[in-house]
Amino acid sequence: MATLFIAIEFFALAALLGMYLLTFVLRGKETPKAIVFTHGPLAAVGIILLIVYILKGGPNPWDSLILFVLAALGGAYMLFRDLTGRPIPPLLAVGHGLLAVTGFVLLLVFAFGS
Amino acid sequence: MKTQSFWEATTPQRPEFPPLEGNLDVDVAIIGGGITGITTALQLTDAGKSVAVLEARRVGGGTTGWSTGNLYVPTGAYYHKILDSRDKETMSSVAYARAAALDFIEHQTLQKQIDCHFARRPWYFFTEEENMVSTIEKEVDALQRAGMPIEFTENVPYLNQDGIRIAARMHGQARFHPLRYVLGLATDIAARGCQIYEHTTVFDLKEEKDHCLLKTQHGTVTCRQIVIATHIPIGIHTVQTVAAPHRSYVVAVRLRNDDYPDAYFWQNDTMHKAITTHSTDSMKLDMLMVAGNHHKTGQASHQEYQHYFNELEDYARKHFDVASVEYRWSAQHYRSGDGVPYIGLTHKDAKRTYIATGFYADGLIYGTVAGMLLSDMIVGKDNNWLKAFDATRGTNLATAKTFVKENVNVAAQYLKDTPFSADVKHLSEIAPGEGKTMEIDGEKVAVYRNPNNQLHACSAVCTHMKCIVHWNNAENTWDCPCHGSRFMIDGSVIEGPAIANLEQKQIDVSGEHLIEGEKHRSGQRDINNPIT
Repeated sequence: MATLFIAIEFFALAALLGMYLLTFVLRGKETPKAIVFTHGPLAAVGIILLIVYILKGGPNPWDSLILFVLAALGGAYMLFRDLTGRPIPPLLAVGHGLLAVTGFVLLLVFAFGS
Repeated sequence: MKTQSFWEATTPQRPEFPPLEGNLDVDVAIIGGGITGITTALQLTDAGKSVAVLEARRVGGGTTGWSTGNLYVPTGAYYHKILDSRDKETMSSVAYARAAALDFIEHQTLQKQIDCHFARRPWYFFTEEENMVSTIEKEVDALQRAGMPIEFTENVPYLNQDGIRIAARMHGQARFHPLRYVLGLATDIAARGCQIYEHTTVFDLKEEKDHCLLKTQHGTVTCRQIVIATHIPIGIHTVQTVAAPHRSYVVAVRLRNDDYPDAYFWQNDTMHKAITTHSTDSMKLDMLMVAGNHHKTGQASHQEYQHYFNELEDYARKHFDVASVEYRWSAQHYRSGDGVPYIGLTHKDAKRTYIATGFYADGLIYGTVAGMLLSDMIVGKDNNWLKAFDATRGTNLATAKTFVKENVNVAAQYLKDTPFSADVKHLSEIAPGEGKTMEIDGEKVAVYRNPNNQLHACSAVCTHMKCIVHWNNAENTWDCPCHGSRFMIDGSVIEGPAIANLEQKQIDVSGEHLIEGEKHRSGQRDINNPIT
């Protein structure tokens, strides 16, 4: 379970930074790239740890992993748009956040629900 | 301090070319009117192609007109390093291509009677530092293996021999006035039907199945081939992950004794210096130049860029009887991962779009090499040197280190863009003549206060890939530390891969807030950044 708890910590930190970034996107401001390039790797480490946990076998949070991977794809697409000078659609940013938050809540339920 | 290129100041009659107004259909469109673009245009015009050159500013007004006017077979990337990263065949191809380009320039100046002070002379390569001796030995060996006539020498004329540890000499190198040369070629090809347009910025380019499209402010160009001769490809390109931008500096001085050495020197110490001489308006030498002090664009280790000029001036005064410092300027160059430029089709799937970049500080010859190679590719002529310069060769193990180093460096620049971090917190901290970044209403803003106390503000976010620009107080420009885009104080692009200008901002000075105009806010601005 230690791997899972560390993953949760990484996702929590990524979520905090993600919410901060969302305020920039919704206000139509340039995102601070130091936050962008910290948020993504934190979430990526979380996903890797989650995969490591799942590969160990036993009951596992597949649903969270699927949502996180979908959120990561959205995040990569937003990063591409941001760095190449294309505006980030606010709906895409919100959707990315909702996917990740849902995955995070399901992960918390999995970890602490029983 | 005002910087001015000697070449710009000593070009009396500069031909004017009109901006493009309307649509065009040509065989080949060339973006960029420097030595690469104009040489390519010359060769293609000679081959009977219809050609249009689209220059965003003035012909020869980019790096060509801000270089040091030296033509030589050696390269700052060093042949022995090319041998390490590639192979002997590549090394020899580079040497022979450079020698051929030098001959090509001489032929053009004679054939077209271009008054550009072309003259052959020797190149000297020496060091005063013991630990650099082996570099010179290795380079002489590599040049000899490549078939070039270089030899060790006991005598480096005009310089104090006492400190010299080892020296080599290569005859038959040359000097010329690069701006007069390029303008001479441009005038010649314009008279023979090549269409040249100045003040014409290309802001989009696209390769279709059977043609290409270029969009400018006032017209679209349809063509069969595109050559991107903009020093580094404009827009976003994978070559930018290895071709690192650097600036280097030049001071031009007059000597009291009029004893100007008729040679070109590289002092290959830890702090490399190049010493050269040129003529203002005749073949008589009357100006000595010292060049060096490279650093990555936008990443100067000294806050005061004046330091780089002062250091060169001190060097000149130490070694020569300097009467006055006449000109100071700096120029940009891009290094390749393996020391060989990238010349050819832009990527493996491209059929019609060509690039030329990664010239190191040896661009006058490499620009000419590129013109010769690209025109051969476009007309379908075999050229044995193409393989060496292939722009699609990618990263091999030997260049992986450069790739990693450059991209870690770029990542480090992004990581400096943290919230609430900027050069100053208030406008009052910016003195007249200074430029600083500020965070206003959550946006990074580049603010310059001119000597009359007027503020010029624009977004500090580079329009290429969104790094934060840095103030260059030698040239009063905003320089991007990631990929080398440079902007004037009003935000307009000078050079580099950026296409769009920095967005101008209005500041409410009393409250230090941004005045929101009708324009989009920064994060909502859709910047067309073609992936080339």
